[in-house]
Amino acid sequence: MFGEDDLVRSHQERADIILNIIVISFALLLARLWYLQIYHGKMFFNYSLENRLRKDVVRAPRGMIFSRNNVLLTHNVPRFDAIITPQYLEGDSETIGYLAKVLETTPDSIIKILKKYQGQAKYIPVVVKKNISRREVAILETESSKLPGVSVETFISREYTDKDSGAHLLGYISEISQEKIPRFRDRDKYDYKQGDFIGQGGIELQYDLEIRGQDGYQFMEVDARGRARRHVTSDDLYSGIDNKAAEPGKNVRLTIDRDVQLAAYHALEGKDGAAVAVDIESGEVIAMVSLPGYDPSNFSTGLSSNYWGQLVMDEKRPLRDRTIQEHYSPGSTFKPLTAIAALEEGIVNENTKVVCNGGYRMGGRVFHCWKKEGHGVVDVLRALKESCDVYFYSIGNKIDIDVLYKYATLFGMGQRLGIVLPRETKGLIPNKEWKKEQTGIEWQKGETLSCVIGQSFVNVTPIQLAMFYATIANEGKLWRPHVVKEVFSNSGQVLKRFEPELIHQFQIKRKTLDLVHEALFDTANSQGGTAGGSKGVGIQMAAKTGTAQVISFSADKIFNKCENQEYKYRNNGLFAAYAPAGNPKIAVSVVVEHGCHGASAGGPVAKAIISAYMNKYYPAYQKKIMAQENAKMTWTQIQEDNRLNPVPMVMENDTKDYYDETGKLIRSFTLEKGGQVQAGPLE
Amino acid sequence: MFNFREELKRYDYSFFGICSAIFIIGILNLYSATHSQGIGPEEGLYKNQIVWFILSWVIGIGISFIQPKNFYRLAYPSYLISVIMLAMVLVVGHSALGGQRWIGFGSLKFQPSEITKIGMVLVLSRWYSKASPEQEIGFRELIIPFIMTFIPAIMIIIQPDLGTGMLVFLIFFIITFYRKLKWKTIAIIALFGMIGATVVYNFGLRDYQKKRITTFMDPEFDAKGSGYNAIQSKIAIGSGQFFGKGFRRSSQGALNYLPENHTDFIFAIFNEEHGFVGSVFLIALYLTLFYRLLWLASNVNKIFDSVVVVGVLAIFFCHTMINMSMVSGLMPIVGVPLPLMSYGGSNLLTFGICCGIVTSISNARNLF
Repeated sequence: MFGEDDLVRSHQERADIILNIIVISFALLLARLWYLQIYHGKMFFNYSLENRLRKDVVRAPRGMIFSRNNVLLTHNVPRFDAIITPQYLEGDSETIGYLAKVLETTPDSIIKILKKYQGQAKYIPVVVKKNISRREVAILETESSKLPGVSVETFISREYTDKDSGAHLLGYISEISQEKIPRFRDRDKYDYKQGDFIGQGGIELQYDLEIRGQDGYQFMEVDARGRARRHVTSDDLYSGIDNKAAEPGKNVRLTIDRDVQLAAYHALEGKDGAAVAVDIESGEVIAMVSLPGYDPSNFSTGLSSNYWGQLVMDEKRPLRDRTIQEHYSPGSTFKPLTAIAALEEGIVNENTKVVCNGGYRMGGRVFHCWKKEGHGVVDVLRALKESCDVYFYSIGNKIDIDVLYKYATLFGMGQRLGIVLPRETKGLIPNKEWKKEQTGIEWQKGETLSCVIGQSFVNVTPIQLAMFYATIANEGKLWRPHVVKEVFSNSGQVLKRFEPELIHQFQIKRKTLDLVHEALFDTANSQGGTAGGSKGVGIQMAAKTGTAQVISFSADKIFNKCENQEYKYRNNGLFAAYAPAGNPKIAVSVVVEHGCHGASAGGPVAKAIISAYMNKYYPAYQKKIMAQENAKMTWTQIQEDNRLNPVPMVMENDTKDYYDETGKLIRSFTLEKGGQVQAGPLE
Repeated sequence: MFNFREELKRYDYSFFGICSAIFIIGILNLYSATHSQGIGPEEGLYKNQIVWFILSWVIGIGISFIQPKNFYRLAYPSYLISVIMLAMVLVVGHSALGGQRWIGFGSLKFQPSEITKIGMVLVLSRWYSKASPEQEIGFRELIIPFIMTFIPAIMIIIQPDLGTGMLVFLIFFIITFYRKLKWKTIAIIALFGMIGATVVYNFGLRDYQKKRITTFMDPEFDAKGSGYNAIQSKIAIGSGQFFGKGFRRSSQGALNYLPENHTDFIFAIFNEEHGFVGSVFLIALYLTLFYRLLWLASNVNKIFDSVVVVGVLAIFFCHTMINMSMVSGLMPIVGVPLPLMSYGGSNLLTFGICCGIVTSISNARNLF
């Protein structure tokens, strides 16, 4: 095999070339490594730090809403979603099968959800089941090795102590929609992010910026799958890490009393309508209930995704706050306004008498009195007490609609009262100018006749009706209704206080006031008064009932029994009152849609509200009222009694709740005939 | 006839020595890459690796006692066995990561494409040493060696494993170049190669293969998708800076940013933990190995032995260079392991056998 040596040696040249190639290759590689590690080393080092750090949003806890007595009306409750990150999903059918078993659903439904989001990037998590139970959370966390790509996400839901009883007032929160973010950012100068929950409706909307707080952020060390490993602070090996703590939202204290609110809610339950109670000397709203309602907790717990859809489709429009966003014909509850205007303008006086024979003829048309057989001879006192339409028609015949408009406006009707809540409506009080503008037709005299009894164009919101009666009770002071007492920080510091605000004050003749007060007292407390049947034990209220047609009936149908009509054609029942009549504190308005009669439908609601309020806040005064009642005192006697034996209206300090957390009545204050306050559990 | 003491005296320890040194670095690195996570299925992989290493080294040392003339005899049978195993992969193979590359013997999984490289080297060496070894190689002389390479290479490519397939061609080219491939022929091949590559890229590649190449051109284009590995790998290497982050201090690997960090991207973890200094040291070790191989190739007595040594060098070098280049972003990600560092039994076995062959050749040289 000699010679082969030389053959091998002859390849030396090629071997040298290969060696050169190897050396040059490694030189290039080292140059590359130098470039990466030395030249750009610092940059890549910082990248590697950023890489492992994730800036997590720390959601600011939403501020709380309290009743006037500091009962918590809202809760921030942690809830959990099961999510899948498709990027990390492994062993698809097996994992999904197991997940389905844990979540008690079918693999198909999970696959369906995943399919829906197939288009988006694979690292974006998909929510498979919202609001999973603690048991499910525990299983998913402990069995995570069997469920690659499946994880649990925590979110804070907003839940409400009294469910739908305060739905419209408190509002609800829901996730901000993607397309609204830029617009809302401009509007509020607030950095909204995707996934933010914002207030929708009621206090949650109106005070959203105060309640929502400021989100912070927190750096988190994560692995490439985004799994959090630990929180990072600047004193760790990372320098210059700047975590920002979330700034909790501010709290809101309402003027609402939870017990009165619940009393109103329970009295109205099962009906459609609204009830409002206001403090006559400050405009503070004590209770405001609108029905049908909804459970505001459902929006953030994610119990049902189409819950909102159902509410929107519901023809009863449960999302609408009937207390301020809906207006109604006030019917006879408007008559005190007509009476005051007529008395003040000298159109009638206490001696003016009119014969009612069941109808009033004007220009070939007969305007019917609600009482077919007529009231006989009536004066203004009796006209109010028995709600005689003919008497008011006779006023309508003489009074100018613009004069009526002037008085209605003084009492706060036909205008926004400026309650700080979303979408308050104006209602409507017509005048000549308005009619001409709207229809181009001059005002017809006959139309005034309908207006004076609170029909036709006249429309008021329940809050206006309550303020109207409050203004009668306080003798000419129109307060701005408000629902928020103060905004305060978590440390209890009051940041904003809402003092009572007088819209205006006007003079009403003493004689007029006395007449109207007496008439309204009699309406509720004497034989023949339309609200007489509503009189409950220990409830000394001055009230007026109203029954408003929702459509025009032909003459023969008017006297048909309301209950026999189809539901949606039935009359609305209204009830407005203030109490106690001799020393008013609270004014109440109640509207029961299609309730047929004001007294039977609205009366019990007003009674429940007044009873709850008076027994809670003025139990001492209740005794006097009982005594006056037992003595069967007339209005004049009560006035005299109050003057001779004044009882200071001292608020009870003990403002413990009647209701427990679940809304169950645990303490009831009922007054017995003997005047004893009965406090005890209710079965 | 077989004097064991004599054998040990003239035994060339250098290859097993250098390779073992690299392997020890590799095993520590693997431990670091898989263990610092403290969780996950990769924990304990280094133990498997040690088992594979021992197995490979026993086989390799065994082979080192075989006379080189037996490799000459075994050239065709080993080539044939390689091709048969490749065929088996295509028919009954296991799938992993979108490719069908494995066959199993019981619980052992085995990647025949690794062993194929050795069969290739032997059969080409035999052919070149037998067919007019004095001549330079032109197109005519290329036909048969090319067919010999093309058959296994195409079988590997359709698995599909483009990286290994191209690697086989590259080994073929280096061997042929060493065996005096004419410069004119090289120029023509280069020209047609470029045309061919364009055609193949446009019509012959699977989507994921194409994506790897486009990603290489612009990794930031799809940072969370296929460019992800390339970027994370660069970040890992770069963040090592001069001295590295230290043993078991890799954040990229530990936090799972770098996928396949125990196989193809092990070099990135090494760089992150030991920095530029570490890389220089590691590269110096590889360079020593390659230099020693080239020296051996030029100092054996038989042309067959010489070509085999160059072939082994080609296997080592191509793996090392391609892996390091792709990890540091000089080349597209093609999935080629780093010799003696990456986790994987088949390639350890390959390198063990290679060590055995060259040691045997080196030992035989000292006989004369």
